[in-house]
Amino acid sequence: MSFIDNLLAGFATALAGPGILVMIGGVAWGIIGGAIPGISGAVAMALALPYTFGLDAATALVMLAGVWAGANYGGSIPAILMRMPGTPAAAAALLDGYELKRQGYASKALGISLICGTIGGLVSVIVLIAMVVPLGNAVLAFASPETFALALFGLTLIAGLTERSFLKGLAAGFFGLLLTTIGLDTLTGSLRFTFGRSEFLSGMDIVSVMVGLFAVSEMFYQLSHPAGRPPELEGNASTALPTLAELRSVGRATVVGTIVGIIVGIMPGAGATASSFVAYNEARRWSKRPDLFGKGSMEGVAAPETANNAVQGGDLVPTLALGIPGSNSAAIMLAALILHGIVPGPFLLTRHTGLVFTLFAGLIIVNLLMIPVGLVILRGCLAVLRLAPPVLVGSILAIVVIGTYAADLFILNPVLALVFGIIGYGMRIYGFSAAATVLGMVLGVLVESELRRSLLISLGSWSIFVTRPISAVLLVLTLGVLIYPAVMYAQTRRRARLVSAGGAAGTG
Amino acid sequence: MNSTVRRELVIAAFLIAFGGAVVAQARQIPPGVTTDPLGPAAFPSALGWGIAVCGLLLGAATLVFRGQSSGTTAVLADATPDDDASAEGGPFSPARLIGAIVATAAYLAAFTPLGYLLATPLYVVVVMLIHGGAGKRALLLAPLLVTAALYATFRYGLLIPVPAGILEGIVR
Repeated sequence: MSFIDNLLAGFATALAGPGILVMIGGVAWGIIGGAIPGISGAVAMALALPYTFGLDAATALVMLAGVWAGANYGGSIPAILMRMPGTPAAAAALLDGYELKRQGYASKALGISLICGTIGGLVSVIVLIAMVVPLGNAVLAFASPETFALALFGLTLIAGLTERSFLKGLAAGFFGLLLTTIGLDTLTGSLRFTFGRSEFLSGMDIVSVMVGLFAVSEMFYQLSHPAGRPPELEGNASTALPTLAELRSVGRATVVGTIVGIIVGIMPGAGATASSFVAYNEARRWSKRPDLFGKGSMEGVAAPETANNAVQGGDLVPTLALGIPGSNSAAIMLAALILHGIVPGPFLLTRHTGLVFTLFAGLIIVNLLMIPVGLVILRGCLAVLRLAPPVLVGSILAIVVIGTYAADLFILNPVLALVFGIIGYGMRIYGFSAAATVLGMVLGVLVESELRRSLLISLGSWSIFVTRPISAVLLVLTLGVLIYPAVMYAQTRRRARLVSAGGAAGTG
Repeated sequence: MNSTVRRELVIAAFLIAFGGAVVAQARQIPPGVTTDPLGPAAFPSALGWGIAVCGLLLGAATLVFRGQSSGTTAVLADATPDDDASAEGGPFSPARLIGAIVATAAYLAAFTPLGYLLATPLYVVVVMLIHGGAGKRALLLAPLLVTAALYATFRYGLLIPVPAGILEGIVR
């Protein structure tokens, strides 16, 4: 099938059956979830994950893509209206968004956020499609050793980038890998870490673990660190779509935001928050009116909002082409694949072409759906934002329990969510990355199976990993990522010593 | 020894102990019916070693760089913010945390025998009370509305049976 045929087939699959309703539901939940402070895009996706059980893999993916896209916009609603970002990525839009609200332009700011976010999302999907297909074909040369080395590289990269402490990030990643070893070893039939319990034969339920690590731990954090009452939401608000002239006036900022979002998105671990702040700064630098930034500039809303939506496409480039998720949200997309019996990896495009093209089509549709759903759902968002935090926390915990239970009518699942909620809480308090653990879980199956398969091929010789050029390069890169923090620290220390020695000589 | 150093050392010790326990448990994994060059125990064992080594390095770095303001954090740190970290809240309340965990555990224990329709509103009320700050009307209405909305969604929307518990026979 040609590229166009694949894409058309993708649109047909995405829109078939309940597809469009599922996507509308996903975008709506994403916007509402993103608008609730504490419910980031990843938490909103994790909460939606149990509801994808009854769907086929393609529909599940497009639904999650809708949640992701919706949450990117949803975060800006309380940022603009209440000076309280719904997601960390929306904090940059707050700087000018709230100023615009104070000047009576809240509707315009919301409209700019919605339209520019949609533009950023759509352009990033086009770039994603353009990049994934050739990249996906390039990895056809990969065999087991290369796949193992790639998965290992992805793991160390994310462990190093997503958390404050590299060693703790690495340990958290190892923990995630370890979780995937629980249950029946398919190669030898041995039982591993089941402790005699038949419930663990098929391993840990990845959905319950994710919901626990992301959603339950967040709710426990909010319960145990009670903040003061959030600012009151005064009056009602509406979204006013920008005119063509207004869109033209933010054109430069939108272009900057799109480029920044895509580039930052492709870099694993960098994420939407970094992209929106970088885009804000760059837009100010390139603006004809930089003096307006911070005082109510439409460009100051357009750039970060475009960037945090454009991250989605960029983020999915390594996810779909190489099987390395660039963020928590991308890891949840891969977890949805595992849930439907598909092992993510560099061969996703070639082995599941239809699925990947359905996701491409779904991403285009959900980004287009953002505008009508965003316009309609605003009132619902405001109603949710007016709910008191105790109501939200109580409701979300109840949703977690019924959601994880309903997945396979098994009470062990919500118990797992509780246990991993406690573990996730502890990890957060002590500086471990829950994202690295999730990544370990997502990549775990691939890492171990490809490692063992490689050694089967080489009859137990480890030299297979260094005699094959791609695998050797990837392993060297992995090693580089591992020793990079120590080298950087040594350099900083030496520089500091030289400066202090120079200072001492100067004063002496 | 300041509290941060002590905390990091405790974390390092925990990682070493946990990694050691994993290695010990991995040794008890039977080889299985067929054998590959690695066997089923090697990978989890290597992960146990990996976690223990991370703990060892963390402990060593903490001891070597203690007293230096940028020491441990600089060698182990990356300044990239965690994308999903939400805004920091108020001061830590251990009672609220323990209360939330106990309430959730009790809810899960009562979920099947008591039934979803009775256990859920009680749980939501307790969580709201632990959180604090909810008005009387919210305490009365929200748990009932949340329970009803979720029940309708799952029972009639997604056609998923939820435990009826002691209401078995009344609720179908």
